[in-house]
Amino acid sequence: MKNQQDFFQGLMTIRIKGKLLEAFVQACTKRGCKIYDMKRISHEEIVLTILWKDFKIWKQLRRKYKCKVFLEKGQGVPFLLQGLFRKNALLIAFCLAIVLVFLLANTLWSVEIKGINPELEAAVEEKLDSYGVSPGKLLLTMHEPGAIQKKLLDDLPDLLWIGVKKQGTSYHLYGVEKTRHDKDDQNQPADLVASKKGMIIKPFIKKGRPLVSVYDVVKKGQRLATGQLVDEEKAFVHAEGEVIAETWYKVEQTLPVKQVFQLTEGTHHKKYEVSIGSFAFPIWGWWKEGNFREEQKVYSLEVLRWKPPVHVKRIDLYEIDDASVRFSEKQLMEKGVQFAMESLKQQLKKDSIIKDEKVLHHGVENGKVKLILLFKVHEDIAMTKYISQGD
Amino acid sequence: MSKWQKQIRAWVSRYFDLPSDVMLDLPRITTIGSIHLYIENHTGLLHFSDQEIRIQYKQGQVRILGKDLGVKMMLKEELLLEGTLKSVEFLPD
Repeated sequence: MKNQQDFFQGLMTIRIKGKLLEAFVQACTKRGCKIYDMKRISHEEIVLTILWKDFKIWKQLRRKYKCKVFLEKGQGVPFLLQGLFRKNALLIAFCLAIVLVFLLANTLWSVEIKGINPELEAAVEEKLDSYGVSPGKLLLTMHEPGAIQKKLLDDLPDLLWIGVKKQGTSYHLYGVEKTRHDKDDQNQPADLVASKKGMIIKPFIKKGRPLVSVYDVVKKGQRLATGQLVDEEKAFVHAEGEVIAETWYKVEQTLPVKQVFQLTEGTHHKKYEVSIGSFAFPIWGWWKEGNFREEQKVYSLEVLRWKPPVHVKRIDLYEIDDASVRFSEKQLMEKGVQFAMESLKQQLKKDSIIKDEKVLHHGVENGKVKLILLFKVHEDIAMTKYISQGD
Repeated sequence: MSKWQKQIRAWVSRYFDLPSDVMLDLPRITTIGSIHLYIENHTGLLHFSDQEIRIQYKQGQVRILGKDLGVKMMLKEELLLEGTLKSVEFLPD
């Protein structure tokens, strides 16, 4: 019986004309051909349906039996495809239409900014333009809304917050402007207090009445200068100034004697993968083997609001080399001091100076060098504290 | 096939109760009323027309007479006929 499988393989109806019809048909079936719906239409002619893949056997044998074969019609998938491919223009138009839909769906059509004054709005627009976010550009090349948000906030100090939302083919931005209250703060009565324990080296009080002098040791929270100009009178100022004091930091540092570094060589490979849903198959570069550090980047398309589950993933491979290094105790101590100093510098204010360092203790245990260091730092410890006047 | 071999085969099929079409290389013909005829184990199509179809098998021919006969399907050793059957005749060699 004609079934689904035959339909996929393709069927063709042919007409055979000749004298040795039965013998011809018999010879073909001997070779494994299937025949359907054979009918005699005249003394020397029959019509029958055969499989498309068997047609070459019929062509081979027809000469031997002096028969003529005419193709009447074709059915099934191969013929449908053939018909489709013959209409080239249609196929090209179809492909172009798909490409066009993808392109249009992945183009930015509008940017809408709300909630901020026109001046700032223009600045935001200009910044967006410089990031490549403007109507008519492809969404594929743009950064994520989160990244754009971060960039805008970094670049425009007047923005307190900006929300970036991608809605289909348009960006909606909602900004909040910063309102500055700095000036008000400057006028409120305030004291200067110590932010940490230390020994005063250089007090410099611009406004207010100083309460400490050089070489005084102050505790955390102790008043350095007061905004109350005269005791028990209501004449307050905003105390201002810089109080450089010597402070001490104790740092513990442990360093392994043997260290393994992963060094990135210059060698760089690229690997590409296409993933459909959770199934990923490699396209390029899958044969690369070795010790690599991987960095992945996923590219995905979007049609209207629907994201097709097809992604192209690029994996950058950087070859790494493990190098193990043993340090001597002296080297480690130097390193330890250096590391500790650097990490301390990050914690301290910009204009602080590390005056002196001292190793209080060092010892080796379990393949690790343990250091206890003391740093002497000159830094500004003045901190503004508003005076509550009870009103 | 020698006569002796034939006899052995006939005996084996009878003794072991095996289907005789397998043992004796005979065609198995099945008809559904008088509209379909299914023949297995044939060796060739000899003649084919609306009224008459002749089929070769190992030891002879089968002649099928009828009206509007046609071959619905044909494989190497199978044949499915349709039409209005009138008679099936065996013509041994």
